[in-house]
Amino acid sequence: MPDKLADMRTIKFLLHEVLKLEELTQYPYYEDHSRETLDMAADTAYQLAHEVFWPSYQEFDQEGAQFDGHKVAVPKAMHEIWKQCAEGGWIGPNVSYDDGGQQFPITIHALACFLFNCGNTAAAMYLGLTYGAAHLIKTFGSKELQDLYMAKLFAGQYAGTMVLTEPDTGTSVGDMTTTASKSPDGDYYLLRGNKRFISGGDHDLTENIIHAVLARTEGAPPGIKGLSLFIVPKYRVNGDGSIGEWNDVTTTGIEHKMGLKGSATASLTFGDKGDCRAWLVGELNHGLRYMFELMNMARVFTGMQAVGVASAAYHCALEYSRTRLQGRDITSRDPLEPQIPIIQHPDVRLMLLKQRAVVEGCLGLFLYCARVHDQEHAVTDPEEQQRLHMLLEMLTPCCKAYGSDAAFESIRLAIQCHGGSGYSEEYPVAQMLRDCKVFSIYEGANGIQALDLLGRKVPMKGGMALQALNAEVSKTIAEAKELAPLKDLADKIESLQNEVVQATMHLGMLGLSGKVNQYLCNATAYLEMFSHLAISWQLLMQAVVAQKVLDAGSTEENFYRGKIETARCYAGYNVPHGIATAQMLTADERTALDFKPEWF
Amino acid sequence: MKVVVLIKRVPDTASELQVAADGKSVVTGGLKFVMSPYDEHAVELAIQLKESHGAEVVVLSAGPPETKEIIRSALAMGADSGILVDTAQLGALTCRGTARLLAAALADLGADLVVAGKQAVDDDAAQVPERVAELLGIPHASVITRFELSGTTASVDREIEGGQYTLELPLPALFTTQKGINTPRYPTLPNIMKAKKKEIREVPAAQLGLAADSLSAQATTEAMTLPRQQRLCRVIEGDNAQRVKELVRVLHMEEKVL
Repeated sequence: MPDKLADMRTIKFLLHEVLKLEELTQYPYYEDHSRETLDMAADTAYQLAHEVFWPSYQEFDQEGAQFDGHKVAVPKAMHEIWKQCAEGGWIGPNVSYDDGGQQFPITIHALACFLFNCGNTAAAMYLGLTYGAAHLIKTFGSKELQDLYMAKLFAGQYAGTMVLTEPDTGTSVGDMTTTASKSPDGDYYLLRGNKRFISGGDHDLTENIIHAVLARTEGAPPGIKGLSLFIVPKYRVNGDGSIGEWNDVTTTGIEHKMGLKGSATASLTFGDKGDCRAWLVGELNHGLRYMFELMNMARVFTGMQAVGVASAAYHCALEYSRTRLQGRDITSRDPLEPQIPIIQHPDVRLMLLKQRAVVEGCLGLFLYCARVHDQEHAVTDPEEQQRLHMLLEMLTPCCKAYGSDAAFESIRLAIQCHGGSGYSEEYPVAQMLRDCKVFSIYEGANGIQALDLLGRKVPMKGGMALQALNAEVSKTIAEAKELAPLKDLADKIESLQNEVVQATMHLGMLGLSGKVNQYLCNATAYLEMFSHLAISWQLLMQAVVAQKVLDAGSTEENFYRGKIETARCYAGYNVPHGIATAQMLTADERTALDFKPEWF
Repeated sequence: MKVVVLIKRVPDTASELQVAADGKSVVTGGLKFVMSPYDEHAVELAIQLKESHGAEVVVLSAGPPETKEIIRSALAMGADSGILVDTAQLGALTCRGTARLLAAALADLGADLVVAGKQAVDDDAAQVPERVAELLGIPHASVITRFELSGTTASVDREIEGGQYTLELPLPALFTTQKGINTPRYPTLPNIMKAKKKEIREVPAAQLGLAADSLSAQATTEAMTLPRQQRLCRVIEGDNAQRVKELVRVLHMEEKVL
């Protein structure tokens, strides 16, 4: 078992040297903070990840969430994890003092999410969902709803969920059939319908569970424009805050999943007895819009979950490769020479390096997005806010889709480093692969992310969002070109950037000429190419900082050189791939569109 | 009631240590430093006394200015204030010098109880707290796994090989904590914010009025090496007498551990 789940030195490098998080303290919301509070929070999050989350990681998989036909029990160790996180203020570290938080940057919240997922991804699910439900109520709920639920959710006295999926409605959210009808006295709605795949949908962690449910009211327009958001407690809460009657929310089962087994994924029936009370959040028919307003960060967090697992897997592989003795140098001819650690074999080293590049590149991207989000909320200039928001919009699909796919591939390599042992459940990497798979599926399947990127984000505001991002990439490339040792790397990444621009313009012409299906048929490949550029750019940003430190003289030469060579490796292997994809896109590859289903 | 906790800043044991070019010291750049884990048990004990007996908890450490970070961690666990004896101007300190500095800083604090971890995980010397107690002329018990306060007497269990002593000591007294006495709490985010506002008083070592030669190191480090990491297995053949002789020779001459 590894001693390490993530490299805190890298994390401090990202927070302070690359992202300059401390600069946020000049804005009123963060003025009580300092490098010291940010570091203490980061260090404590790692300590919790390592000492509270991680020890029960395999236990969560073996024990799983249990359903006895009536109620759901979480793995035993989850109770202590929940207690530590609730008492520690980790459900909403970024929310205001008034709402029970400590006004930390969301970058710190994102980092904590990453670290908790390094430790035990199934356990971290319960926290994220509770934050999500509380955040919806805080942003869009009435004062009554806020008074009843918000503080208790942020404090971990209640847990929360996000309820969208139905047995016949997954990705196609607009087709959902759960209905809400106004109660006779008009004070609340009565909900009726079945929901499925509800993470944290039922459990014994807290005295109450607050569901944020999408449903359709009578007479609402069809499709996504007819969905409204409701708050539905498992138990009704009396005016004085005490727990009242059961609210006719029935758990009918939990899923038996490939991974993430400690996270209870429930099927729920609302209103089986005709008395499931639901309270509207905000305005009628705005439900999906509300959900989407929170979606950017939720999707960034999903990528973060995946890469958290990949980070733990990478450190398992690194430790294994350093201690596992096998074979000799390829030029050695003496069978009696001592065997060498497998990290000395270039093929193994490359596998480790690829994992490291994914982990550090994606983590850099996620924290960059969180930092942009913080900045957007700190500044007051509307134009700057819009620019920052567009950056986040552009990068979100990459965080979610590329993050989850690259994490899965990275864990595959971690298993490969372990050889046969990696295929055995005795080592944790097999579980990590299983746990990680879901992140490419939920929170908007990766194919949907690709459509979001190419269909919505690229054309957004006449291409302004894409331009804003391109300008940032160009800025980093220009900075790198100023540093002689990075010039060739910067040129390489610039060549990919040019190809991406060309391919985008080519596709744009298809879109403008009405060939929408053709425009979108390679959206997944487009997202991958785009992400290769985004991650190359992030790693280049890290390399620029590292090169400057080295030029100024540093006692940590290995650390900073490692950053530069990681960027070089990622670009070396992925830029050619990205360029080839761009060429495929401009050559109008369209087999997927033309291949008839009956030809299968 | 005033409880003073002695803590030490040490490299995180999960860090990968490198020996510096001089062959006598550790490369500290990029190294993560933490509060020595046994000290966390001492801080926890003190905070529990704060909760149960309203004790005032003061954290005391001697070290470079960066030591404030670990004092701040103790404050985030719930200690009330901190004192740093700044040793930046001093040369290398050994247990003797550190103990004298801490004892001098403790002299006018009026502590009813002094607690510390049973040893620091960097040099594992397990000497400083006991030396402090001797310098202050107060009773002490080390490696305790239970602590109970009754009036001005403390009843403790002290771990020994294969058993334990139960001791009663009159206060003021000093104790060093062993794992198992409690579970140190994690700083909560609200307490991290509160810790920022708590006072850490900095005392330059020179202000304590100790003669330089009373602090100077009595031992010098000649060389420092990392333990060899290769896993080697070797079977020694022969009858018992031969094998013992060969084993001692290998340990002494080849492995140089005897």
